[in-house]
Amino acid sequence: MSGWLTAWLTFAAAIALLALAGALWRVWHGPAPADRMMAAQLVGTGGVAVVLLLAAANDWGMVDVALVLALLAAFAAVAFVKAESSGGRGDPEEESADD
Amino acid sequence: MTAVALADIAFDLILCALLLSAALAALSRQPLFGAVIFFIVYGVFAAIAWLRLGATDVALAEAAIGAGLTGVLLLGAMARLDAAAHTEPGFGLAEALTAIAAVGVTLGLGWAFLALPEPGGLQQAVAANLAQSGSENPVTAVLLNFRAWDTLLESIVLLAALIGVWALADDAAWGGRPGLRHHTRPGGVLASFGRVLPPMGLLVGVYLVWAGASQPGGAFQGGTVLAAVWLLVAMAGVVRAPHVSATWLRAALVAGPVVFLAVGLAGVAAGAFLTLPPDHAKALIVTIEVTLTLSIAITLAALVLGPPENAEQAP
Repeated sequence: MSGWLTAWLTFAAAIALLALAGALWRVWHGPAPADRMMAAQLVGTGGVAVVLLLAAANDWGMVDVALVLALLAAFAAVAFVKAESSGGRGDPEEESADD
Repeated sequence: MTAVALADIAFDLILCALLLSAALAALSRQPLFGAVIFFIVYGVFAAIAWLRLGATDVALAEAAIGAGLTGVLLLGAMARLDAAAHTEPGFGLAEALTAIAAVGVTLGLGWAFLALPEPGGLQQAVAANLAQSGSENPVTAVLLNFRAWDTLLESIVLLAALIGVWALADDAAWGGRPGLRHHTRPGGVLASFGRVLPPMGLLVGVYLVWAGASQPGGAFQGGTVLAAVWLLVAMAGVVRAPHVSATWLRAALVAGPVVFLAVGLAGVAAGAFLTLPPDHAKALIVTIEVTLTLSIAITLAALVLGPPENAEQAP
């Protein structure tokens, strides 16, 4: 691969990474727990983008890391939703349906 | 300076800044929920950092454990924390000693890294013997052949950790299930998530184990993905956590270490404990990896599910 393409892809990965600093700002400031959680999800999604760009620039074997991140980053959101329900075992959707 | 080097430096500087800020925030953020979220975010950045260092196997494990499973574990633990038991953060003697110890370990690791013989430690020895190891992935060759002893003990350490967690159960709850049944709104987002994601997760988990023979992946990474899938299915209320006294559960927990030990003992016939004869090394490694994946997946899931809590007895 030409050096310029590698440089360009790495540069694009750096910009995608820089965008995640905004997500960190949101995790710090919140204000609601859901805001922090969604910002963490954004870091997961942005992380997938960064890994894909790095894989294109260096070695396609890295793509599996993006696969695992895409699959598992969402799990924390499930645990978060569980923790928000009463007793930690339910589903906030059940509770809002009763209103 | 070439454009590639410039882009590399820019990327690494941004990554270091984000990694350090996320780590510092995870240590200092109050209330605790913010710290947990920063820890999850830190896991994503750490996985990218491992990629930059060329350690794709470690990046896979970090993505699965750090960004995936640990988040579930910490959020679950936080939901159980008694709000009244919240202690104000302070900086006393205990914190100072912990900080000194942590800095000492960091300096020691830094010294060990700089003191490593050039070039690259044992890399050449591994590369020279890779053909006889039964694996084309040097990391798998080291983990399951050249240094199989370490991996065997690691799999037993996981089991010991689970015994430690189960030992926290009340006498009355022993033999029961960890936690109560989860429930979700039928057809809701959570219920659909719990049915759509597991098939893909199963596929990715099995793929990672298979890929580990020739490229980054392996029992630990695949097992973590499978554990996460099981936890998701349990949290969506599709299945219940099994009784800790269930025979199949106990058998699955020890299957990996037992098969590993059996292969190791069979190696005595071929020369020494844990020796894999080059002709059969590939088949033996795949056998160990598959059973180890099963045991690691079930052990990790059981660790996150926690000790049995309700007195309901096994049928």
